[in-house]
Order: sequence, then C-alpha cells, then structure tokens
Amino acid sequence: MKALVDQSGNAKQTNAVAHAEAIAEGKVEAIALSITLPCIHCGEPTECATDTKRTDVFCCSGCRGAYDLIHGWGLADFYALRDQMRRSGAAQPASTSPHYEQFDTSEFLGPSTPTQHGDGLCSTELALHGLHCAACAWLIEKVAANEPGLKLARVKMSDHTVQLIFDPQETKLSRIARLFDRLGYKLTPLDRSRDTHLQLENRRLLIQIAIAGFLAANAMWIAVALYAGDYSGLAPEFRYFLGLVGTALGTVAVIGPGRTFFVGALASLRTWTPHMDLPVALGLAAGMVVGAINAISGAGHTYFDTLATLVFLLRIGRWIQFRQQQRAARAVDLMLRITPRHAALIGDFGETSLVLVERLIPGNRIRVAAGESVPADGVVVAGATQLDRSLLTGESIPAEVVSGDAVAAGTVNLVASIDVQVSAVGRDSRIGQVMQAVEAAAIEKTPIVQFADRIGGIFVVVITLLAAATFAAWLPSGLSEATANATSLLIVACPCALAMATPLAISVALGRAAKANILIRDGHSLQQLASPGVIWFDKTGTLTAGRQAVSHLAGDVEGLRLAASIEHECQHPVASAILREAERRRMRLSSNGTLTQVQAGGVIGRVDEQFVVVGNATLIRSHGIELTKAMQTAMDEFVARGESPVLIAVNSQVTTLLGITDPIREGAEALIADLRKRGWQIGMLSGDHQAIAERVGNLLQIAPERCHGGLSPEEKLAAIRQSRVPGRAVVMIGDGANDAAALAAADVGVAVRGGAEVSLQAAPVFIGSGKLSSIVKLLQGAQRTTQLIYLSFAISLSYNVVSVVLAMCGWISPLVAAVLMPISSVSVLAVTFGFKSFEVESQV
Amino acid sequence: MSVLYVALPIAIALGGAALIACIRCIWGGQYDDLETPAIRMLIDDPQISRKKEL
Repeated sequence: MKALVDQSGNAKQTNAVAHAEAIAEGKVEAIALSITLPCIHCGEPTECATDTKRTDVFCCSGCRGAYDLIHGWGLADFYALRDQMRRSGAAQPASTSPHYEQFDTSEFLGPSTPTQHGDGLCSTELALHGLHCAACAWLIEKVAANEPGLKLARVKMSDHTVQLIFDPQETKLSRIARLFDRLGYKLTPLDRSRDTHLQLENRRLLIQIAIAGFLAANAMWIAVALYAGDYSGLAPEFRYFLGLVGTALGTVAVIGPGRTFFVGALASLRTWTPHMDLPVALGLAAGMVVGAINAISGAGHTYFDTLATLVFLLRIGRWIQFRQQQRAARAVDLMLRITPRHAALIGDFGETSLVLVERLIPGNRIRVAAGESVPADGVVVAGATQLDRSLLTGESIPAEVVSGDAVAAGTVNLVASIDVQVSAVGRDSRIGQVMQAVEAAAIEKTPIVQFADRIGGIFVVVITLLAAATFAAWLPSGLSEATANATSLLIVACPCALAMATPLAISVALGRAAKANILIRDGHSLQQLASPGVIWFDKTGTLTAGRQAVSHLAGDVEGLRLAASIEHECQHPVASAILREAERRRMRLSSNGTLTQVQAGGVIGRVDEQFVVVGNATLIRSHGIELTKAMQTAMDEFVARGESPVLIAVNSQVTTLLGITDPIREGAEALIADLRKRGWQIGMLSGDHQAIAERVGNLLQIAPERCHGGLSPEEKLAAIRQSRVPGRAVVMIGDGANDAAALAAADVGVAVRGGAEVSLQAAPVFIGSGKLSSIVKLLQGAQRTTQLIYLSFAISLSYNVVSVVLAMCGWISPLVAAVLMPISSVSVLAVTFGFKSFEVESQV
Repeated sequence: MSVLYVALPIAIALGGAALIACIRCIWGGQYDDLETPAIRMLIDDPQISRKKEL
C-alpha cells in the first residue's frame, strides 16, 4: 500500500508544473463520453477505458465468471457463433443465487418432476430463462456434453424450454441447475397446462394441412391426366373413372380439412357478423355439389382439383394465423413465469415448507425472504421491508411496507423477510388480472383483419347476386350451361388469397422485425405505427444516457483524483460520476482519503494532509474560498451549456472544475429530426425537474410547451390519455421497468430498455438493441407492412375481378380456374416475401 | 389402359401410407419446434479423431 501512495506522490511532483499552467489558463478538456467498450460476454456497456485489453472488458464479475467457465470448457467458439448470428450478447448471470437443493424435490418441480426410464436414466423438461439466440442453444448443448452424468440437453428455442436426460447415479438436478446458473441461464419448473393445449392445437392444424396437401396433390395429378386426355383422346370409361376418383378426393378435402370453413360460415350467419369464411364456404359448397352431380352423371365440369387446392392453401393460411396468436400467448406465458412458482408456507408451529403456488389458498401464511418475489397477493402480518413495485405500477423508487399493508404478487422484496397472509393467488391476483387483459388484447383481431372480414361480408352478397345474374343470363342457352357458368363463378370468386394476405404479411413482418432485434407482440401495433400520430418520449434513460457523467473538465486533473479518493464510499450520483471518471482515466486513488463532512451541496475530506472540498459554488464560497477569474469564466460556460458545475478546492484553492451532466444519447437528435420529417408530433414526459426537461428538449429541438417535467407515473398516464386524438396513434417510448404504466396506457408502447420479458408485458414493442435508430426502422417497417397488406388485397381482388368477368362471359373452363386460383395465392405469397417490410441489415 | 383400375388405387394407397407416416411424425412432436433444428445444423460435430485420442 505504501508503494501505491509513493507512486501517486511522484506523479504529483512531475506533473505539478503542467497543472499550474492548466489552472492559470482555465483550460477546458472535453471528454468523449460515447466511447464505452461492450462487455465481452454480455455486450452491455462497461466503464473500461478504450485501451483496455479486449479480453479484460467485463461489466461485472458474474460475466467474468461465465466467460472463464466457457473458456475453461474449451467452448470459446460460442462467441464466434454468437457474433455470426449478429444478436445481442449472452445472458447475464443471475445475481441472486436460488436454493438449488429445491431442484431435487418433487414438490418444487411439479409437472417437471423427472421420469425414471428402464435404463436408469431420468428425463425432464424445464423452462429456460435468458435464452437469446442460436449461440445460447449451442452453448447449453455443448456444456451438457462435457458435464458428467448429463446425457443430453436439447433446447427448444421456440418454447424457451430445455429437455434434459441425466443419470441420477452420477449427477443431480440441483447440480445441473447450478451449472446453468453459472452460465447465465436460469432453470425453473414448467407450468404445463397451457403449453400442452397450444401444442396439441398446433399439431392438429399441421395434420389437417398434411391431409389437405395429400388430397390436393393426388387430385392434381388426376386432373392433369384428364386435361391431357382432352387433347390426346381418352376412352369415356376411363374419363368417367378418373372423374369419380378425383371428385371423391375433392369431396373428402372439402368435408375433411375444409369443414372448419363451414363451421366458421355457420357461426357468422348465426350472429350476422361478416366473415371471410362465408364466401369461402359458399364457393366450396357450390363446387362440391355441382361437381359431384356432374361426376356421377358423367357430363359437365368437375371442379375437384380446384377445390382440393383451395382447401390446402386456406389451411396453410389458418395455421400461419394460429402461429401468430400463439406468439402473443407465449409473451403472456413468459410473464407468468415472472411470478415465483413456489412459496414458503408457514405451518402451525412456525416452521416453513416449500409448496407450489397453486396449492396456496387464501388465508395461508407465507414467508417471503429478502431478494425474492412475492408469490401471491396478500397482507403483511409480520415484518417490515421495502418492495420494488416497478413491475405493476412503474414506480422506480421502492415502497415501504409494514404490518397491515397489502402486497401484490410479482413485486420484489428488497430488504428483510416478511410474513404475508395470502388473499389471492394466480389468476385472481392483480398481476394475474393484468395478464388476462394482455391476453385478451393479444387475441383481439387487428383492425386490418376486421377489414378483411368486412370485405368478406360484402363479397358474399356481391358474389351471390352475380352468380344469380349469370345463371339467369345463361338460362336461355340451356340449364346445364347456366349451372356450369354460375358454379365456376362461385369457385373462381373464392377469396383464398384475400384470406391469406393479412396474416401472412403480419407474421412475415414480425419475424423480420425479430431478426432486426425488435420484438413486436401483436400485429395491431404495426398498423398503428404506420401512420404518424403523437410520440411521447421518456427523458432519463431514453433520450439521455440515464446517469450522471463528467462531460467536461477544466483545470488540474489531480483534483479529480483527490475528489475521487474522498468520495469512494459515497452513493450520490455526482460522486459516482467522479469515481467513474477517475477509473476511466486509470487513476490510482489514495487510500488515505477520509470523508470528514457531508453537507448540502458537497463533501469535505482529507487526503494525505491535503484539505479537499468538493461541491457547488455556494459551498466553496461558504468556506471562504475565492474563484480565479479563469475558473469563473469556465464555470459560466458550463452553466450556459446546461451542465452542473462541481468545484474541487485543494487547500483552499480551487484547482479543478467539473461539468456534470446526463449526456444525450447518440442518435437522439437525428431521431427527433427524422420523426418530425415523417409528420409525427413529438413530446417529452419526464419525472425530472421541469428546467432539466426543457433544457434537454431545447437541445433536441422539441417545442418547450411539449416538454413536461416533474411528472409522477400517474401524471404521465394522464398526459398520455389527454393527448388521444381519434384516428391518430399515441406512442410512448420509454424504459420498460419505470414507465410500465404509461407504456401500457399508450396505443403503442415501445420499451427501449429493461429485460425483454418484463418489458413485453407493458409494451407491445421491445427494442432489444436499445438503439434509438431502431425506432425509425420500426416505423418504416410498420408503414411498409401496411402498404404490403393493401397491395396484397389489390392483387387478389383484381384476380377475382378478372376471373369473375371471365366466368360471367362463360369463357372460363375448369382448367383456367384451376390455374388462376393458385396463381393468385402464389402471387400474394411472392409479393409478401419479396416486399421489404423490415430491412434486415446485411452482415459486413 | 385397364391397368388404371389397379394402378390408381395402389398409387393412392402408397400416398396414404406416406400421409400416415407424416401424421405419426407430427403427433410425435417432430414439428413442434421449427426454429432450433434449423440452427442446430450450423453447429459442428465434435472432431471424432480428438475423441479417439482421449
């Protein structure tokens, strides 16, 4: 320790002359704030200086541990693979260590209890948290191969689950859980009920597609034989046979996989709500009946090939739609996993036992230890603590609770253990109700789907009238001719492509957005973001970096070292900024620094017999210290720029002046300008002081009357509600954790910070990269997706118009119908995949 | 051409067998996760020669 002090002493002497000059000139040194190295493991920004060796850059010791572990296993390829996938970093290791022993009890595991197999191995499936990308799956599966006793780990990216097969003789689940935790992934037991329901539904839909595909393919080659026979000659008995078999296949397709459209059509008839299924069912029914009669009588057209293809394509559209809803449901499911699955139940004699949350009933007493989430709603009966309620209310400051206060599930107990009397569990709890609301909103159809259904209603009326008109017009030339033309009209007018266009466009857009690291919960948001409305920004952490930093330094750098030496135990934001700056400059802090006094506006301390005062001008003057003229000028400059000046006086002489500010984030200015160009109204809602809000607004050229400062979460909510104008979307862009309420209240909430799982509860859009430039990308993508949907509508409608006109004129043959119908679907598919809805940057 | 009366049912029966196999795969859960398998093929197999040395 002595050597350290000596060294800094030497440095002081050699630099003394330079410092004196610096003080005299009042030289201001601007500090580049934007350069921060990302953590080599997780990619979070760190405070390491730019010249730090790349393999030494970590944001926390947890990441260093994970990095060492990964290298220790010889799995350094993880980083290469991750960078190749071009996603954000790896998961951050969990800060709180759970009780791994629980993993060996079946009470804790519930549905995830391992099942023993004949060969002595156990298998189980667990929910996996912290999964980001392919590299995570790779890492987990590779590590599993190295762990003795763990035979297999298979990651399911889509469900965020992992399947484990292990040998209970060699390892225990608790050991595996600990290993995963060290890598930064957290295991929890599954909540089986809803997952299996969705999975079964998915399988059922896929099977219907398989059946429809089989029927369509076979109908197609029989149709080819018939059409070929038209030209090369085919004996009538074979024609009759082929026609019968084909019609049988078509009929099976319509009443098998196609039944769902009749069910939908019937339901819409019963409730008198227009629906896309109605015209589809009409076309299918007419084609099937007339085709079957013609096939049996051996005269006229059979339409089986068109019918089977229609059912196949429509079935695919149905499945895409289901997948989209499932994605929304999965977001809700992730939220479910946030509330703990277990509670420590207090027995009659004060002992605690671990039970599943589902087993709790109102009236039970549970103990919640510090650092744990509250598992159920209830009332505190013993103990006092602070709760982090940001998940529910958006409050960033922990709330004090004492005996008698109500607590809600999902809030985090920060300080001390409390006993809670349970009042509501699971879906009845407050977070459960919020979840149900989100779920309902997610399943709700997007307006554009409703639009498609409305078209469907008009469609069915128009088509029926046209078919009747065609029949009447052709009746003079014979009944069979009239029936044939009317039926072919009903078939070719079947709006297959129209029904597919919207779900397809939206799910492609959501998938591409996810590749660009923008997670969108539902298609609804896309449409609202497409036309300009009102955008509200949160200030702290969204437009600004969210923490104080030293942006300018005037005078002697040594002063900074001394200030840091006395402030190293302070929690104040300014002290942290000074310490970070000292660390960035790799200064060796003196160990002799002592803090003697903390006053309003600053601190006073001693370092190696030197008397140091750090604080604002008032504090400095109150100690009888005068400012040099150069210093005064520099200070005025800082104030004019909107920075808070902090003075450092050593031995009653002001040596250093620091400009402290919450710097504006890179790209914020460009973003605001871009948004304005696109016609959005821009405003700012901040919890910070009005003056600071206005200053930042001024720098970013946001109109002062739209910069609101000093707002509580409730006031932010009110401001958003007030700014609602019919027909224009209100968008809130903010922090996923602190602005939860405001994000949820806006038409579209966009979370730019905080964990994906938490943010997606409050906001339908989460920007994973946290980059402001992604907001522009999001708006562009939304606009293009809406354009794409209308384009697909136009394409499929024009096909329908053309084919209806052809059918009315009697020019359409079953061959033309068979070719036209798939072509319209294929062109909608081609346009959807070819259209650039979200730009995915190509890798350089 | 009367072979058609035999060939056509056989062809459909063969296709039907494939359909049943496909349905069995779907029920078996092979189509539950459509994301990870596509990524898994990017992962190199461990070098066999190295294992032999061990």
